[in-house]
Amino acid sequence: MKIIKVNEDVCVLCHLCEIACIVEHSESKDILKAFKKEKPRPIARCAVEEDKPLSFSLMCRHCDDVPCVKACSNGSMHRDERGYVVVNEETCIGCWMCIMVCPYGVIRRDEGREKWNLSTKCNMCPDRDIPACVEACPNEALVLGEVIKCT
Amino acid sequence: MHIVILGNSTVAVAAVEAIRSIDNMENKITVVSNEPFFTYSHPLLPNYLVGEVEEDEERFSYRRKGFYEQNKLNTILGDAAVSIDKNAKIVELKSGKEIAYDKLIVATGGIPIVPPMDGVNLENVFTFTNLTEVKKFKAALPNIKKCVVVGGGLIGTRLTEKLSIYGVETYLVELLKRLVALALDDYGATLIRKELEKAGGHIITGDSVKSILGEKKVCGVRLASGKEISCDAVAIAIGVRPNMDIAKNAGLEVGRGGVITDEYMRTSDTNIFSGGDIVETYDLTSDQRRSIPILPIAYAQGEVAGLNILNREVKFKGGFPMNSMKIGGIEFISMGMVNPEKDAEIIEKKYDNGDYRKFIIKNNCLSGAIFIGDIEKAGMFNWMIKERFNVKRIKDYFLKEDFGWKYFDRDTRNLRISRQLK
Repeated sequence: MKIIKVNEDVCVLCHLCEIACIVEHSESKDILKAFKKEKPRPIARCAVEEDKPLSFSLMCRHCDDVPCVKACSNGSMHRDERGYVVVNEETCIGCWMCIMVCPYGVIRRDEGREKWNLSTKCNMCPDRDIPACVEACPNEALVLGEVIKCT
Repeated sequence: MHIVILGNSTVAVAAVEAIRSIDNMENKITVVSNEPFFTYSHPLLPNYLVGEVEEDEERFSYRRKGFYEQNKLNTILGDAAVSIDKNAKIVELKSGKEIAYDKLIVATGGIPIVPPMDGVNLENVFTFTNLTEVKKFKAALPNIKKCVVVGGGLIGTRLTEKLSIYGVETYLVELLKRLVALALDDYGATLIRKELEKAGGHIITGDSVKSILGEKKVCGVRLASGKEISCDAVAIAIGVRPNMDIAKNAGLEVGRGGVITDEYMRTSDTNIFSGGDIVETYDLTSDQRRSIPILPIAYAQGEVAGLNILNREVKFKGGFPMNSMKIGGIEFISMGMVNPEKDAEIIEKKYDNGDYRKFIIKNNCLSGAIFIGDIEKAGMFNWMIKERFNVKRIKDYFLKEDFGWKYFDRDTRNLRISRQLK
């Protein structure tokens, strides 16, 4: 399975991954509308960490042992047919059990919905061949690559 | 092989998913439950009570529609198992039906603790751990104006919040000095208390319900302090104990915290496995075997039981308590030992925006943590507790608002992020 690989040595702290992610997960998929019109603005599912000169972007690692799936209150967090870990937005209740167990700390809280909060994380852009963040990265700090099996 | 599962909740679903992930549907699986419902989400019971979610909504279910059919399960729902003959390998049901098994998973969960006191059998005294009971509560709710909730733990506080917002005048009575005593410290408990009071709840701590008053129906409670509160309903939410009579009567080894299993979730009988609220679990943070009735542990144990029935030799090495909750405007996550022993190191901070973090460290290992407000990185600390990560070089950064992988050493960070380090 391919996941997004992170290379901190070549990240230039441009935050384009976050912008591309927001646009991709907006309703319009249009940068101007996503940033200026849509309310609330979508939440980026990748987050850049910086401690200069170090910087890198991090998002869901789509773990083998899926602690978030196992801790989910009602089966909303699941593996899709591609093998990636995604949230069922129709059923998520925002109880944050997934956040409680995510070993990477990469699940965000969307508290902008009318009734139920929504657990928000990288879904490996199901509508694209190459995830938006990878495509937007100008320096291959994010690339698509096979996972090396943990021994 | 015929695999029979007693229970229809987290452990059962986890075991089914584990078995079906490797067995090509070759085994026959029968799920038996005393409740006549499709598998449902227990954490949503307070929301269900007050009508925030309906029984037929997908989000109330623990799995999506079609789960039983897709996994080719035989289901016997609404008929309780009453005894197990482990020599003949037969389960007897309340209806008189007998089911022969090759392997059995006993996952009958927990039952509410109801203290012996006068009046517990009166009309309008409710418990709160399963849908059957909560349905009775829900049916009576339109006529309830004043309710006493017994127990200020995780369930009792959520119930108090929901009932208060719904419009029921609610009194919460907690024996200990603070609310959510096992999952929070004094500071956190005070915040929860304020939120409940803001919602309209009346909080009484350091007192207990001594007897429930009424002829046929509840009309009030008398507290240990002598105080009386009039009410038309009482909800008992003290906690759960293992529902293990059936296991005990079958001759399976049991301890104080529940049914005893090995690391493979096998009971004292080689053909019987168990997991969830009914078993005694090794607590990694307190180094003791005890009952830890929480969903993530039940799932992990059910999965291990299922895999080992198919001889996969997978171990469950232990767990620890963890909870995520929202009361009013307060979101918190707590994990491990939050009430530290004397020799533990404590790192804590109250932030200007009202957030709070607390860490309990022992022998360079994290053994407990509380997050109030900003909880999004909590899982990283969960990982550190579970893996017994040496926090000596990282702990100075724990209170940083932007805590993240950047504060780890380069090798650990890169191995972890590339999934090459457990």
